[in-house]
Amino acid sequence: MTAPAPEATPARVIRMANVAKTYGRNGANVAALRGIDLAIREGEFVAIMGRSGSGKSTLLHIIGLIDTEYEGSYWLDGRLVSGRTAEELATLRNRTIGFVFQTFLLLPQMTILENAELPALYARDRSPQECRAIARARLEEMGLGHRLDHKPGELSIGQRQRAAIARALVNRPRVLLADEPTGALDSRTADEILDIFARLHRDGATIVMVTHDPDVAAAAERIIHVRDGQTSDGLV
Amino acid sequence: MARRATDWFRLLLRFAFAGLAGRRGRSGLTILGMAIGTASVVGVVSIGLLGREYVVSLIEGVGSNLVFTYAHSRSVDPEWIDFDDVGAFRRIPGVRDLAPVLIDSQVMSVRGQAQPVDVLGTTPAYARVRNMVLVAGRFVTDQEESSGEKVAVLSQDLAQLLAGTTGVGGWIRLYDLRFRVVGVYKEGVESAAAVQKSEAAGVTAIVPLSTLRSLSQRRAVDVVYMQARTPDAVAGVVRGVTEVLRTRHRDVNNFEVQSLDQYLVLARKVSDTLTLVLIAIAAISLLVGGIGIMNIMLITVTERTRDIGIRLALGAHRRDILMQFLLEAGILSFAGGVVGIAIGAGVPLYLGAIYHVEVPVSSLSVLIAFLVSVAVGVFFGLYPARRAAAMNIVDALGYE
Ligand SMILES: Nc1ncnc2c1ncn2[C@@H]1O[C@H](COP(=O)(O)OP(=O)(O)O)[C@@H](O)[C@H]1O
Ligand SMILES: [Mg+2]
Repeated sequence: MTAPAPEATPARVIRMANVAKTYGRNGANVAALRGIDLAIREGEFVAIMGRSGSGKSTLLHIIGLIDTEYEGSYWLDGRLVSGRTAEELATLRNRTIGFVFQTFLLLPQMTILENAELPALYARDRSPQECRAIARARLEEMGLGHRLDHKPGELSIGQRQRAAIARALVNRPRVLLADEPTGALDSRTADEILDIFARLHRDGATIVMVTHDPDVAAAAERIIHVRDGQTSDGLV
Repeated sequence: MARRATDWFRLLLRFAFAGLAGRRGRSGLTILGMAIGTASVVGVVSIGLLGREYVVSLIEGVGSNLVFTYAHSRSVDPEWIDFDDVGAFRRIPGVRDLAPVLIDSQVMSVRGQAQPVDVLGTTPAYARVRNMVLVAGRFVTDQEESSGEKVAVLSQDLAQLLAGTTGVGGWIRLYDLRFRVVGVYKEGVESAAAVQKSEAAGVTAIVPLSTLRSLSQRRAVDVVYMQARTPDAVAGVVRGVTEVLRTRHRDVNNFEVQSLDQYLVLARKVSDTLTLVLIAIAAISLLVGGIGIMNIMLITVTERTRDIGIRLALGAHRRDILMQFLLEAGILSFAGGVVGIAIGAGVPLYLGAIYHVEVPVSSLSVLIAFLVSVAVGVFFGLYPARRAAAMNIVDALGYE
């Protein structure tokens, strides 16, 4: 638990030491992660690759602060985040993390503009008008300026994933996390999304993308392999 | 850097309304459930107040600021109220009007049949003090009292018995003498018997006191009615009458001196207790409405699990989620309270307008019912809202 703090240079946005996670408190326990060590530098585009069931999503949930029940130490932006309160984590998640999911996870009853402004609204540091303006700008950057008042169900799946990326970027997060972002897309749309990631990466974004597909992983500049809940190449 | 709390509240209110808008039908039914509860409480208080006013009006109808005294006839050597007592009563400060009553019995012949009749000898003040209502003709005048005229005012019962044979302007026979019928009366309230059997009820003829005293052997005054000048003067008059009886008679316990106050106090207490019982029963429906809110909110939270998970993943705080769902429950109960008050106060007022009855709607009860119903909604919304806020984010996102 109390691993010595590694050289927490600002350049390392994500640093994990000996992170382990077991599902199920008693009875049938599944050791999803067993001693993960990894470091991701600012501006890197990393693919976390491994077979289905190897623990990639579990790892990404811990990185994204939505899973807090694990052992080991995790530094985000140089700050130890393991053991923080739910309140602190919510704020941190809101400002530092942008999530993109395989199934988009847009709220179906809202327009994509309303979806995209949610992280800004929950940040509570801007007026509703400002939040809307930022969300609109992000959606326009994703080529959705003409679809702002559409609901996700009225859009193509490629457009939905672009809307989800716009939402993830609204608060200008330190890290963009994507769990199988192309898993629900055909290859042409998948390429479109990967192009967007490449463009964001060129502009300086830090991206961590989970995938089981070597072709998709090839879009990243660095690949971390997960096998049976362990990484061999997590540290640079 | 956090913006003002009102902005936060407004944002969550927006989310709450959006959540409710997604299930209008169910929200409407839940509001209705809450409205019925609120309406019952408001309505029951109105019914209770109406009942209380009715009972009080019955008692007050016997006579305003009334004090009366009579002798118990149960003692072995009874003492009676006499006309010297009456004279002393008249000098008590605070007595505005006074009517001694002598009661005698006569037998009249009605269509050849013997008919017992109570003959009341009293002064013209009696009609005022006892709130008598004239059905026809007029009451005994001061002039007729001072000259001992043979005139009679009939009770409605007696007038009905005599209908077709005689009436106002006609004649009846009492003490083998002809009495001219000048009027027909009824009592201000039918059920003066609620207080005590009224001497004026039944088959009765009222004649001038002086006339009866010249025809009857009776000298004992059966009952004396007094009207105090103001409601506040009633207690003083009761004390004054008691004092007169104490000084002029051997045993003051032989006499009863009463005002209507004790009956009013009792009637108010009884109807207030009854109202409270009714409110307690109505409150059960408020409780049922609250459980309806809890039910609907639990369903909502379950259905929106993924929605909640997404919001939390995007950085919503747990208190944001808690407050959003608490507000949804609060809006439902608030709307239920408003609709309930509209029904609970509107229907009685509407019926009152139609039937020309003054329906009391207590604004305090409206306020309390409203606050209680909102509180009930928030209370029952707390558990579902807590469940929403406590969700495991990864599970909520629908991951395996
Ligand atoms: N909520 C859960 N409860 C129990 N076991 C789980 C749960 N989520 C994942 N697992 C198990 O943990 C292991 C890793 O899962 P996951 O991180 O989803 O893998 P991946 O994303 O690489 O497919 C798998 O064996 C999976 O069955
Ligand atoms: Mg996975």
